[in-house]
Amino acid sequence: MKRVILLLLVFLPFSVFPNPVKGRVFGIEDNLKIVLPGASVSWAGASAGTIADKDGAFTIELHQSVKLLVFSFVGYQSDTVKWNGEEKLEVVLQRNQELDEVTVVQKNKGTYISKMNPIGTQHINGAELQKAACCNLSESFTTNASVDVSYQDAITGAKQIKLLGLDGIYSQMQTENFPNLRGLATIYGLTYIPGPWLESIHVSKGAASVVNGYESITGQINASFKKPDAYEAFHFNLFGSAEGKTEVNSNVSLKLSDRTSTAFFIHGENFQNRIDHNHDGFLDEPLMKQIHLFNQWKYTSEKGFMLHAGVHYLGEQRIGGRVSFREGMARTASNPYGVEVKNDRFELYFKGGYDINPHHSVAFISNATYHDMLSFYGLNWYSGKEKTWYGNLIHTFSIDELGVHTLNSGASFILDQADEALNQAAITTDETVPGLFSEYTLKPGPKVTFMAGLRADFHRVMGTFFTPRLHLRVEPFEHLNFRVSAGKGYRTPRIMAENSFLLATSRSLSIVEDQILEEAWNYGASTIYDVQVAGRPLSLIAEYFRTDFSNQLVVDRETSASQILLAPLDGKSFANSYQLEVRYEVLPRLDITTAYRVNDVRQTIGGQLLRNPLTSKYKALFTLNYSDRLKKWMFDYTAHFNGGGRLPGNPSNSFGVHQEFPAFTVMNAQVTKYFRYWNVYLGVENLLDYVQDHPVIGADDPYGPKFDATQIWGPVMGRKFYAGIRITLNHK
Amino acid sequence: MKRLFLLVSLFTVLGINNIQAQETKNEQTTVCFKTNMTCHNCELTLTNYLKFEKGVKDLKFDLQSNTIKVVYKSGKNSPENLAKGIKKQGYEADVIPEKEYNHLIQESSKK
Repeated sequence: MKRVILLLLVFLPFSVFPNPVKGRVFGIEDNLKIVLPGASVSWAGASAGTIADKDGAFTIELHQSVKLLVFSFVGYQSDTVKWNGEEKLEVVLQRNQELDEVTVVQKNKGTYISKMNPIGTQHINGAELQKAACCNLSESFTTNASVDVSYQDAITGAKQIKLLGLDGIYSQMQTENFPNLRGLATIYGLTYIPGPWLESIHVSKGAASVVNGYESITGQINASFKKPDAYEAFHFNLFGSAEGKTEVNSNVSLKLSDRTSTAFFIHGENFQNRIDHNHDGFLDEPLMKQIHLFNQWKYTSEKGFMLHAGVHYLGEQRIGGRVSFREGMARTASNPYGVEVKNDRFELYFKGGYDINPHHSVAFISNATYHDMLSFYGLNWYSGKEKTWYGNLIHTFSIDELGVHTLNSGASFILDQADEALNQAAITTDETVPGLFSEYTLKPGPKVTFMAGLRADFHRVMGTFFTPRLHLRVEPFEHLNFRVSAGKGYRTPRIMAENSFLLATSRSLSIVEDQILEEAWNYGASTIYDVQVAGRPLSLIAEYFRTDFSNQLVVDRETSASQILLAPLDGKSFANSYQLEVRYEVLPRLDITTAYRVNDVRQTIGGQLLRNPLTSKYKALFTLNYSDRLKKWMFDYTAHFNGGGRLPGNPSNSFGVHQEFPAFTVMNAQVTKYFRYWNVYLGVENLLDYVQDHPVIGADDPYGPKFDATQIWGPVMGRKFYAGIRITLNHK
Repeated sequence: MKRLFLLVSLFTVLGINNIQAQETKNEQTTVCFKTNMTCHNCELTLTNYLKFEKGVKDLKFDLQSNTIKVVYKSGKNSPENLAKGIKKQGYEADVIPEKEYNHLIQESSKK
């Protein structure tokens, strides 16, 4: 509803820091620009504001910290404009579709796609995140058509996301706009971000901006935490599942002065019930304990200086395996099979920004992490310690006053030092990657955005490589946005850290080459058509993406009966992803989303071009969301239809090479009741109680040659009822 | 017999009264206010406040004419109490007749 198309014209600045802000508000009617007397103007988040006079002119006093001006006028789409120190602003609002009815109790669309961004980006905000139990990031995508979430193995509870049908490692995971949760944190990283702490998640598919590095191949997922200077003062969430899992999330923000604010976050979860519904002797879900503490600070000066810093500590323990396994048992084949993973992680991050003048601004983003991991899978020991440092300096140059040409350039640095040990073998990683980048954006008008970026990175072992990326957005006619993108991406996989779940088999891992550089091109095209049908919004989205690998780490479970080979690609590897999505408010306040995607993912495994194992051939999604007139009740229903796919053939496997897994359906439902300061929710995950048959192969003899808990294609946990409460208090 | 008749009629009358009382209690009434919202945020603050007031069934905000229309169950709330709530949030609330409200809405949409 509040989607925004804007044309921002900037008149010549007279001084660097003018006071107050002046400007005029216009609207478009019958393709003519008209003044909007009475339009309201306010700083985002502030309650006071002003109203434009009969000529559409306004004057508003500067706000200490907020730089975003919100313009609204009845019958027009509200617009938010960043004030960059211009003396005069000219804002043009677009006519709303539904002119006659002004209903303010409107629904907050949980997901929307930004229109001006040349990179097709889905914004998932707090409203969407409340549609599911949403305890951590891995559960935040249940209502999303683009992201698949699947289990890695049947024992550790590790989950991964898939974008465009490819493994999560090929999409760049970011928090607060910097790459994060790499290396040792890859496997469990999604469960390290509590959903209730999040302000929003951004998902972009295809080539990403070069500013954030060379790593994103299939896309980017960025999680933004709630900010200390936001409206929310206090949040408390308590969650419990029928099987005995409890989670607590809370955050408090304090405004120490007009410029300084801080926020404290805590997350705790505990699950200690040994449950084995399928009676295979193995726990369905690992026993888990996690604590996560987070403190962030924000400072904004009136002279365009911004500082944002934070510190995280995370500790977790997972125990899985046989029901009879107990912590501390001697690791011998005479004791029950057990898996234990312990993680301790510290993170410090810092972001600083300074607007030198209306033309130049600089930003510096940095984070440092320390990760300590200890684990064993049956008789396999695996441990690691990792230190990382990331720094990115970005200079933004607005070349002209009209914002037509912008140049983002800068330098980045990655340091990654890790010492891992697998049984008796040591694996050492020492990566340093300095890099340079530049990205040019052209916005000749509201109908076209063009972006071209190039970066060069100097990897200590892999040498120099270049990352070119291109994006174009065109609005050929009203309400239709067309985007194309092409770009290259690279990765140096941390082979053991990213595949440690493969230790939950009897086969040994054979790493053919210690270090490789994965390399791929991604091309994509998407069309979004937004239109009003019967006064309610309808979105039609069609997308196609292709990823072409020239080098890749291939997990080959099919060549050898006794080993899993981790080898560089020898041949072709590609992924085609076709997706259609329709969103419509079919009846007032009843939103539906239907989506269908075909994943055509193929890889050369053992000399043969095969469909990627354990990947569904298609996926369909259907979601329903209904709320009553005043949004006091909310009902959500989601159904995922997953197509079947190929199971990895194994030479010793008597079923033969081309065995398939079946199509399956997973349904979730939730009811939320809102009160003034709190809400309660009750829901069920996996309503049909569909679980994969025999998630643990050879469960009777876990130390024997047939044991394998890593051939996972479907849900390993059955129906789960849950309930929770959220309490929210806002600042005055 | 007479007494019984009296008793029956008494109960009948009481019963009818009761039904009537319930009907007025559940009847939806509309009240319109003129206020002084300046921005979209004021609208959001007031929406969040008013929707959880007793008996409130529907809300209609119009920023341009600066009016609020509240539909509520007459037995559960009163214009005075709603006005008090709006004022507590820091905004003006003058009750205006529905005629004037419609007029204001029309006027502002002409602009």
